[in-house]
Amino acid sequence: MIASVSSATLLGVDGQRVAVEVHVSSGLPGFTVVGLPDTACREARDRVRAALLSSELGWPLRRVTVNLAPSGVRKQGAGLDLAIAVGLLMADGQLPPGATDGLALLGELGLDGTVRPVPGMVPLVDALPNGGVVVPWSCVAEAELVGRHQVWGVHRLVEVFDALRGRAAWPEAPSPVAVVEPAERQPDLAEIRGQAVGRLAVEVAAAGGHHLLMVGPPGSGKTMLARRLPGLLPDLGTDEALAVTRVHSAAGLALPPGGLVRRPPLRAPHHGASAVSLLGGGTSLMRPGEISAAHNGVLFLDELGEFAPSVLDALRQPLEEGVIRVSRARASVTFPARFQLVAAMNPCPCGIGGPPGSCRCTESARARYGRRLSGPLLDRFDLRIEITRADPTELLGLDQGEPSATVLERVLVARARAMARGTATNSAVPAHRLDEVAALTPSASALLRDSLRAGVLSARGLHRVRRVARTIADLGDRAGPLTDDDVSLALQLRSEPDRLGVAA
Amino acid sequence: MRGPTPEQPAAPWVLALSGLAGMGPKRLGALLGRWSPAEAWNRVVDGRAGEDPQVRADAGPVREETWGRWAHAARSVDVDASWEAHRRAGVHVLVPGDAHFPDRLADDPEPPAILFVQGDLAVLTDRPSPAVAVVGTRHCSHVGRLVARQLGYDLARAGVRTVSGLALGIDGAAHDGVVTAVGERPDRGRPVGVVGSGLDQVYPRGNARLWADVASAGVLVSEYPLGTPPDRWRFPARNRLVAALADLLVVVESPRTGGSIHTVEAAIARGRTVLAVPGSVRNPAAAGTNDLLAAGCPMVRDVDDVLMVLGLEGKAPTASAEPAPTAGPAPAAAPTAADEVMVALAAEGATLEQVVVRTGLALASVARRLAELERAGAVTRVGGWYLPGR
Repeated sequence: MIASVSSATLLGVDGQRVAVEVHVSSGLPGFTVVGLPDTACREARDRVRAALLSSELGWPLRRVTVNLAPSGVRKQGAGLDLAIAVGLLMADGQLPPGATDGLALLGELGLDGTVRPVPGMVPLVDALPNGGVVVPWSCVAEAELVGRHQVWGVHRLVEVFDALRGRAAWPEAPSPVAVVEPAERQPDLAEIRGQAVGRLAVEVAAAGGHHLLMVGPPGSGKTMLARRLPGLLPDLGTDEALAVTRVHSAAGLALPPGGLVRRPPLRAPHHGASAVSLLGGGTSLMRPGEISAAHNGVLFLDELGEFAPSVLDALRQPLEEGVIRVSRARASVTFPARFQLVAAMNPCPCGIGGPPGSCRCTESARARYGRRLSGPLLDRFDLRIEITRADPTELLGLDQGEPSATVLERVLVARARAMARGTATNSAVPAHRLDEVAALTPSASALLRDSLRAGVLSARGLHRVRRVARTIADLGDRAGPLTDDDVSLALQLRSEPDRLGVAA
Repeated sequence: MRGPTPEQPAAPWVLALSGLAGMGPKRLGALLGRWSPAEAWNRVVDGRAGEDPQVRADAGPVREETWGRWAHAARSVDVDASWEAHRRAGVHVLVPGDAHFPDRLADDPEPPAILFVQGDLAVLTDRPSPAVAVVGTRHCSHVGRLVARQLGYDLARAGVRTVSGLALGIDGAAHDGVVTAVGERPDRGRPVGVVGSGLDQVYPRGNARLWADVASAGVLVSEYPLGTPPDRWRFPARNRLVAALADLLVVVESPRTGGSIHTVEAAIARGRTVLAVPGSVRNPAAAGTNDLLAAGCPMVRDVDDVLMVLGLEGKAPTASAEPAPTAGPAPAAAPTAADEVMVALAAEGATLEQVVVRTGLALASVARRLAELERAGAVTRVGGWYLPGR
């Protein structure tokens, strides 16, 4: 007898529909899985056998062949276990033929017959045709995000068996978890005293989607500032949220209660990160990397100078295109990677900071440190600022800073202005629209001309400064041409590399 | 002997000895204190030099294998050819007893056995004109650099020779000022650059142009033959020559430890007066100079303070009233004295943040004002800090 059951496997961040065909015939008892299964998939044999026996179901003492179609695509993970078990029960006659018509099954089996969760539920379900889908109990919320399917959650294999035989109803779906705001307190800008320039840079970055580089000594507050950027970003739209959720689901990251990632994620990989961990890939299991996990959110690279230069230069293509194409001998996948890059680094190896003259590094050590960042990468940062350690005696007299909520209101206004002009954020304004979008008053225009002549602004930086100035004006809710003040501030926020402490 | 005969027939052997790897002034002095140069050379070639108890006592700790390495290296040295190579390169080789060998080095407690000089020999021996050493840290503040440059310029205008080490930072800035002044009128006080490597081994590379300018405006002096690399251990010996060649020593900026403090110790050991430029108590690069002032060294605020100690009071032709010309264009819109932002920058400079806190002005207007001042040349921006002056 032969039976076919619908299921799906994961390829990168996309699901791939798989038809599990089970053939049971006379011959020497045996169990073969064909159709490019990986090791975890091949081991399904032992899990399925134990699960059937533990559930007091029959194991056919006959020859069993399982084919995973299309047979040319690699199947990975244990998510096909449930489909194989049910297909076997049908082929063996324990379930009536056609019991799974219009139904797909996803889930890993435990030896005791429990159905366990698998990563990537969102893309897996998304790959299935409309109809019913049976998933592990804890994955119901995740599976329902796709919204096109009747989802049933199960705890044990025997529940599936009973429901398919019509002996029992499907278990009641868990009541939907009320979407609660994240209980953990988000870091707030109010906790930062002083740092007027740093606060402004973070605000402008949030409003305009500009990449931000902060250079400053340890303890000057670079990391504190970076961690507060996601709190200044608006909630993700439905499509954006689903895209982020798909990636996080495929990467096996913990999803928030309710399943949907609604807040822009912050990913902060350590500087020892390898190129594969950052960009994604692997041998056969194509796992999305940190830059994809930061999709529609913030990628924070602390100690930028300590990352391997080859790893940093690999970021250039995704920064430009918003996707990363990972090609391996066995597969080639495209991961989404539209992230906002925030980086922090010390001005020099000693990191003493303070006014010129305090650094104890040799000239050559400073030059070596600066050379670790390539010009093309530095060029991607619209905002490049120096952060200096605040003078404690001057800090004492300062009031508490503005809270994130107040800043977020301005950010929303600025983003609405950008949206009204037809661009998602100002960082994405194409060069040919700059004269229309970021017109200059005569005096602001003269200011830029003088800066170009004095060498404090490069020709390629000109466009970026105008975009930043546009964001500054938007934050002030000002329409019309950019003023001197907007342009002066933008120039402050985008130092040329030779004027930053590094690469001098 | 081929080629022009040296003033002292023994000089080529001293040159050959000084070229051996690891041969510093002390070891060279020990060998030449015991034997004539030619005999010392022969003993080194034979490998017998290290057997002499007097040499062993004077040379300080020398590893046993070093004597063997010297013997091995010396056998392949052509004494005449290396003399000839220095002649061809236009390098004067001086040994004690030569007419141009500076008296104050001949009388020094640790006299150099040989000197290599490039440039005008007269500058080295120009006895009636006083010489002032201007030294300081490589990691100087912007203000320190400005002060050193102005001091070098004013000393040259006053006809005082300036001795320094051609390092980055203060040393280079002082000689930069001297070279500028001599470039305006050649009859001014000229630069004496003392270096710690062979005269063809420019170190640090960043000062290559200054190195050439000092050689053409004054002299470059080294204790080491051509081709000697700038090893770290050679610099303390260089510092003693800086102190020995000058009548007095001015330290512009120095932390509590470092090469400048070695120069100060060498100057004190030779009875030279040490002067120091005061710095901010918040500036770690000025901690050493402030200590010197606290210990009773005379203070240098401008060139007049130096000239007074030299006994040349009033001789400076209104030097300090006239700032050293700078490379950039003339300031377009000079700031007014009442400019709040300039006041907030104080003398030491400040970050944008600090100016905002001190003035209470809006960030945007401070940013605009600073940008204007920078374009006018009234402030300089160095890695997030705004410093008054160019």
